Amino acid sequence: MFDYITIGLTPPLMIAMAFTLPIFTLAIKRKAFYDIYALTATTIALMLTAYNYYLVFYVAKRPIAYPFGGWPPPIGIVYEVDALSAYFGVFIAAVMLMISLYSVWYLRGVSGYEWYYTMLLGLEAGMIGCVYTGDAFNLFVMLEVLSVAAYGLVIFYRMSHEAIEAGIKYSLIGAVATTIYFIALVFIYGSFGTLNMADIAYKSRGGGEFPFSYMVVGNIHLASAIALALSMWAFTFKAAVVPNHFWLPDAHPAAPTPVSAALSGLVVKVGIYAIIRFLYTIYGLDSLHTIANVVSIVMKLLIILGALSALIASALMVVQNDIKRLIAYSTIMHVGLIVISMSIGTKLGIEAALYHTVNHGIGKALLFMSAGVLIRVAGSRNIDEMSGVGRYMPLTSFTLTLAVLSLEGLPPLAGFFSKLLLYEAFIDSGLAIMAVVLVVSSTFALLAYIKLLYGAYFKLPTKELGRVRESWTYLMPLAVLAALLVVLGVCAPIFVDEVLTPTSSELLNPLKYVSAVNEVVKALGG
Amino acid sequence: MSTELDIFLANLSLISLIAIIGVSLYGILARPNIVKKIIALTIFTDAANLLAILVGFRRPPSIPPVLLNLEPRATDIAEFSASAVDPLPQALVLTAVVIGMAVNMLIIFIALQVYRLYGTLDARKIRRLRG
Repeated sequence: MFDYITIGLTPPLMIAMAFTLPIFTLAIKRKAFYDIYALTATTIALMLTAYNYYLVFYVAKRPIAYPFGGWPPPIGIVYEVDALSAYFGVFIAAVMLMISLYSVWYLRGVSGYEWYYTMLLGLEAGMIGCVYTGDAFNLFVMLEVLSVAAYGLVIFYRMSHEAIEAGIKYSLIGAVATTIYFIALVFIYGSFGTLNMADIAYKSRGGGEFPFSYMVVGNIHLASAIALALSMWAFTFKAAVVPNHFWLPDAHPAAPTPVSAALSGLVVKVGIYAIIRFLYTIYGLDSLHTIANVVSIVMKLLIILGALSALIASALMVVQNDIKRLIAYSTIMHVGLIVISMSIGTKLGIEAALYHTVNHGIGKALLFMSAGVLIRVAGSRNIDEMSGVGRYMPLTSFTLTLAVLSLEGLPPLAGFFSKLLLYEAFIDSGLAIMAVVLVVSSTFALLAYIKLLYGAYFKLPTKELGRVRESWTYLMPLAVLAALLVVLGVCAPIFVDEVLTPTSSELLNPLKYVSAVNEVVKALGG
Repeated sequence: MSTELDIFLANLSLISLIAIIGVSLYGILARPNIVKKIIALTIFTDAANLLAILVGFRRPPSIPPVLLNLEPRATDIAEFSASAVDPLPQALVLTAVVIGMAVNMLIIFIALQVYRLYGTLDARKIRRLRG
């Protein structure tokens, strides 16, 4: 069982690699060193997460738990990777590798790259830690690692008014959100007597004694209701669900472009992951009767909030003139759709949500990074002032268009199949009104995307730029992400069968998650 | 000591902590001055930490959370868990305090930068972004 050392190795190794980077700044000034360092670190992360994915899906075929320091859970911290964690881990590491590759081009002529890479690697370490951890308090710690890195990256241009204003808004309310999650943990600990996710999951389902933390110590019904309400507030803030979305349209555009891609594509997805973990694994519709009632109320509320997110954000998308702000609103809209789908509670709904999470993450990263190239050349983020700069850069315009078409949902790109799956999930569970929300918000988004494409490509250029050489350093990550969109779309049936079906069926069977930890406890003589 | 007094004290501290949380949230959301917002934020995190300490609290006479018997019997453990202070919330609070310090330092730096760029700390006047 302890052969699975990569499970426990991945997040601490990432943290170590991120936070030893500042030491090198004492001796080395060359940008190339930091580029190579970041690329090596993100490549190692991708290899480790892919190996963990292989372990969970093909070797063990069940969740794998790794106890730190040999302490049996729930005394020690345990990292637990089930299909959902492995899936999110690979997705995060793959997109982060492309983002750091793009950063090599983006950071030319920008000072402070060493701190940028420190925070970018810290962000990745926090995200992978969040999805791998099997301990609710460790989730709080990793959430703070992620948040501090994200605040730092948002204010990277610290002499820009916009970045500082977005940063103060984001960091103040973000600190409140994580503290609220801490208060939720206090309630959980006070009643369940444990912070281990598997332990809470077992007890909330009426399981008897779990080794080591023998019994519940308080009123778990009331405490679970309070803890769920508080933690959902914190996670919907992270995931930018209306009404907790207000920071996103300021913070994401103000950050450097690769960071916008990481924040929009990946960081909000960690919020989604945490909501799924709380609503399906830790608590669930199969929990004790009173807790299950609370869960179903929370799910209904999330469906309504998700629908509001999709509608409000898609309507606001149309009126934006700033290209990055427009893309940021699109993130809120897609997160709304994902939240509706995962709150339905059916297998199909979870599959659709997970599929759309990945497709949106890749498509949004591609869209932000392609737009970033156009912004650099046009010298403006205003869509009207960009005036057809895309005509000089056919390859970048191609990837931009591909990303837009995938997000809008055109076959055979990946976005079409996930929107189809979302639509099926809504109809299947009798929520026809949500299918209407999907269609209406997509229509509004289409208007906004037409505006974006018109400004970037179709409009006649007002100034002569001559021949713009397109650098392969940024085309390489864009090409990989574009190819991923096509591959995920073409291979949609295989992807659903091979990846999504096992993931969702494992998620709906939380006792598997518990038994993995239980085996560790037995092996350690608990 | 009587158990009524215990319950009264526990309720009193719980209610006052919830009141502090309410006041500090009001401070963060409604006060215009960013420095006052930051002060309210530190009060908020401290109230959350106190709440965690309260969960593990035992009225004196309590014993230190150290098991002296190397091979404890079940009765030893029962006696121990009935009279020792729960150390885990204190460990959680230590972690949360350190994390909170890092976040507060970053927010204070951003506030300083706000003052340098805008010449004011009034949140109502820092409104260049719309929508």
